[in-house]
Amino acid sequence: MELVVRKNDLLRELQLFQGIVERKNTIPILANVLMEAKGDQVSFLATDLEVGLRSKCAAMVSKNGALTLPAKKFYEIIKSLPETDVRIAEEKGGVKVAADRFDSRMQTLPREDFPTLPESGGSPSAALPRAALKEMVAKTHFAITGEDTRYFLNGALFVLRPDTMSLVATDGHRLALVTVPRDGKATKDADEVRAILPKKTLGELARLLQDGDEDIRYERGENHLFFDVGGRLLISRMIDGQFPAYERVIPKGNDKHVEFERDRLTNAVRRVALLSNERSRAVKILIDRGKVDVTSSSPDLGEATETLTVEYAGGPMQICFNAQYVLDFLSAVSTDVVSLDLKDEVSQAVMKPVGAEAYEYTYVIMPMRV
Amino acid sequence: MVRRILHIDMDAFYASVEQRDDPSLGGRPLAVGGDPNRRGVVAAASYEARAFGVRSAMSMAKAVRLCPTLVIVPPDFARYKSASQAVFSIFREVTPLVEPLSFDEAYLDVTENAWGEVLGTAVAKRLKARIRADIGLTASAGVAPNKFLAKIASGWKKPDGLTVISPERVEPFLQQLPVDALWGVGPVTARKLRARGIARLVDVRSADLQLLRDAVGSLADWLRQLASGVDDRPVVPNREAKSSGSENTYPEDLTDLETIRSEVAEMARHAIAWLVRRQLLARTVTLKVRYGDFTTITRSHTAPPTRDEADLTARAVRLLDKTEARARSVRLIGVSVHNFCGEGDADAAERLPFQGV
Repeated sequence: MELVVRKNDLLRELQLFQGIVERKNTIPILANVLMEAKGDQVSFLATDLEVGLRSKCAAMVSKNGALTLPAKKFYEIIKSLPETDVRIAEEKGGVKVAADRFDSRMQTLPREDFPTLPESGGSPSAALPRAALKEMVAKTHFAITGEDTRYFLNGALFVLRPDTMSLVATDGHRLALVTVPRDGKATKDADEVRAILPKKTLGELARLLQDGDEDIRYERGENHLFFDVGGRLLISRMIDGQFPAYERVIPKGNDKHVEFERDRLTNAVRRVALLSNERSRAVKILIDRGKVDVTSSSPDLGEATETLTVEYAGGPMQICFNAQYVLDFLSAVSTDVVSLDLKDEVSQAVMKPVGAEAYEYTYVIMPMRV
Repeated sequence: MVRRILHIDMDAFYASVEQRDDPSLGGRPLAVGGDPNRRGVVAAASYEARAFGVRSAMSMAKAVRLCPTLVIVPPDFARYKSASQAVFSIFREVTPLVEPLSFDEAYLDVTENAWGEVLGTAVAKRLKARIRADIGLTASAGVAPNKFLAKIASGWKKPDGLTVISPERVEPFLQQLPVDALWGVGPVTARKLRARGIARLVDVRSADLQLLRDAVGSLADWLRQLASGVDDRPVVPNREAKSSGSENTYPEDLTDLETIRSEVAEMARHAIAWLVRRQLLARTVTLKVRYGDFTTITRSHTAPPTRDEADLTARAVRLLDKTEARARSVRLIGVSVHNFCGEGDADAAERLPFQGV
């Protein structure tokens, strides 16, 4: 393999692979990116066997070929180079990476050791609007546990229906659900497609969605999902298992409704939480006619309170939350006003943005025992 | 740095303690366990009995059929326990890094040791000699650079064996291992692997990872690691309990649902008493049922952490509804609790009321 590629083109792609390659280094080849040069482009592939990414960029290829390089080191080298052409050439037992007056030789691992990934069938089953997908991931990603023994909670449930798509995530204490409308009439969808996506997939998807505005082409394989994001293909395993019946924990009969200015509530919770119990991070919300007190106390530290003015005419009540769960929601939404709907101090509370148009966002929090 | 890990396994532990304490039993086929007429089970068999095919966990009735001269001794756990403590106190003279696997089996990390021995082999020899001189029992030892190899090595030659896998001998050793030599690969998994052309451990290396995952699921990466002789698990002293429970084989099959229910409730209460002693809460309760025809099933239920007696007992009993205990006779019942957490973890951990999660 021998080629010349522009530094910035190469860097842009390699950057996207940094989160994909395996960190734990249990299988050395998984720390590498596979490069294949052919025609007028070089393609890249990396995977940790859960998530994989394929991409490519333009290159002047003088000799076709394939090799694998340690993704992290390769990226660091390319990043450190000036804006110029990079020459990459396979040599006996290694690869030469050179640019300008810089010259280096890196160890490769055999191309044959690189795992094969499932291929997409090439016929996407649906087009997903990029902006909506981006919103969905940003508003649910943080609620995935990542480390739960109930492994199906280590991902978010993706539900695709002809007219809507939803993403649901929960760590067992709170649940985030986003539903956005879509125009799925022209596709070959079944009525409803469900798949649990690993937390890492969503993180990488969010990264790919950042730039560009075209729709995402989505395809479901036997055990994998494929997301084609502007020519880059994210390949993700689906998590086996039954996602819990999330509809059932979303309460319907919460009759106490309070609306807050988002900034004010955010600041109050953030300040008051500074003196909350360090382990539980509990803040208490005391609701009464026309006002809400956000309070905290810690046996070791002291106590704090902040009063917010609200429109509320019902009877007094109080409820206790983990401050972090509330703040996670508040920083995921962008509307000026948010609502809190309660039943009593032990039942699930629901928070929603008020005035969001393009999507429906429901955030359910389990209160703490006071 | 290359570690020196020992796996020490006492030879036919319960049976050897019996033979040690009663010289008239020496050299005779012996099984420790329950009465064959009351459906007892073999808890341990002496090497003389093993020659007849007697194995632990076998029904005593079958053991007697295989070996009509079998001497049956009821278990005396108090004596085994004191012998076990004596063995472990010798282990702890050498290193604090002793990880018990059971009464009669442990890993030791002797990379650094109080005896100042450079070679793991020398430590193993001295340990075996001490166990013989002080306690009057024999042990088999495996010496290797990691836990999984040490464990395979100790089983290589028994009884009174000593097998050493030095770093340079790891590769030839791996080459000769069948895939089911591995911890975690039982007969079912081994069959699946063989069906995919993976018979030797080293075949795992070149096997397609996807294929491997289809066969053994999440075990695939672990197998790959072991196949290349890599096992970085440290020796962890005083491993914390991950579950607690009890089970009982009944002298006669139980058919009356009320009796079965009260047995389950009783065992659940035992498990709860253990939680109270340990100041722990459990999320999961598991019921194990073996039917009259020996088929065995387990059913579990997970809910917010608790040690509430009414709650856990009721959940254990309700699990019976997911069995065929009504229609089939029951030979064995077991109840256990898992997924522990401390009290402090629980009060902050209010959970959404998902069903059956």
